[in-house]
Amino acid sequence: MNLVWTGVMLVGLGLLLVNNVDIAMTSILDGGSKAISLSLKLWGIYAVWLGILRIVEETGLDQKLSKLFNPLIRLLVGKTDDYTKNQISINLTSNLLGMGNASTPSGINAISGLDKGSRYATSAMIMILILNATSLQLIPTTVVGLRVMAGSTAPSDIIIPTFLATSVNTLVGILLVKLCGKIFKDRC
Amino acid sequence: MSNYIIPSLIMLLIFYSLIKKNNTYNSFVVGAKSSFDIVLTSFPYIVAIFIAVEVFNVSGLAVLFSDFVAPFFEFFGIPKELSQLVILKNFTGCGSLALLEDIFATYGVDSYLARAGCCIAGCSEAIFYITAVYFSKTKVDKFRYAIPVGILANFIGAIFSCFICRIV
Repeated sequence: MNLVWTGVMLVGLGLLLVNNVDIAMTSILDGGSKAISLSLKLWGIYAVWLGILRIVEETGLDQKLSKLFNPLIRLLVGKTDDYTKNQISINLTSNLLGMGNASTPSGINAISGLDKGSRYATSAMIMILILNATSLQLIPTTVVGLRVMAGSTAPSDIIIPTFLATSVNTLVGILLVKLCGKIFKDRC
Repeated sequence: MSNYIIPSLIMLLIFYSLIKKNNTYNSFVVGAKSSFDIVLTSFPYIVAIFIAVEVFNVSGLAVLFSDFVAPFFEFFGIPKELSQLVILKNFTGCGSLALLEDIFATYGVDSYLARAGCCIAGCSEAIFYITAVYFSKTKVDKFRYAIPVGILANFIGAIFSCFICRIV
């Protein structure tokens, strides 16, 4: 992370200094203001979904979900406590339903539930991360919405290809994490 | 169809909560309160990513880099017009959607390039952004093989997207 961030900043700013110094500072500050407007938008989304997810928790539905997902969770991340299992189940469900950013809070909770205070990510944490990064959704709602707005004659044509592609990269991701977990043992 | 799924699930949930004699309103408010925490802890990471993305795009580094890797991508069947999307998709979701709209405008929304682009944008998430935000509550700063695996898996997803859109 540090390497990529530093590299992009150094080379990018270097290029800006040579080619277009006038916009260098505005673009850096633009990054900041775009981050705040996204965070505000996400805040609203998180508040709504966390409210709804709390209802899921207090009615005990998350435990039912977690029983349903239990074999899968065991296979993917191994043994973990009930709270983390529940959060992982909520995360998987909201991913599958294509609830977009709604899966972020449960993802953060699941990863901090797996956390043991170490500086090193464990393979269980990386598994949750990769499942989210390769996107599990059944229907790519955002992209279909964009196609409708752009006046496509067949906006939903991409649903099946996208589903196949996301199945491929999710499977590849899971296998790679399992493989890397075997090669590089967890450190603490 | 998909427009009906989530609102009906929410309705069923509220109904279920009513049957269970749970104080639904209180649960909602308590849950919504925890959003402060998530927004505040993830904000610094989001700023860091966004500044880098902004510099990456504005400096022309994005174009240079995608021109540089385009021949390599073409070897795997990813058209050079889509190489920038494949790269940017690793950093930011919103940024790549903006790029996708440019592709719609330039090549037509039902063209092969636009469909393959949709598939690429829809099948993966921004690994750098997700890593930064998902680990924001922990002390972890050594992500080990997480980012390489994420990039590789999504790259294979992109190759597959371009392939599958060619045959359907």
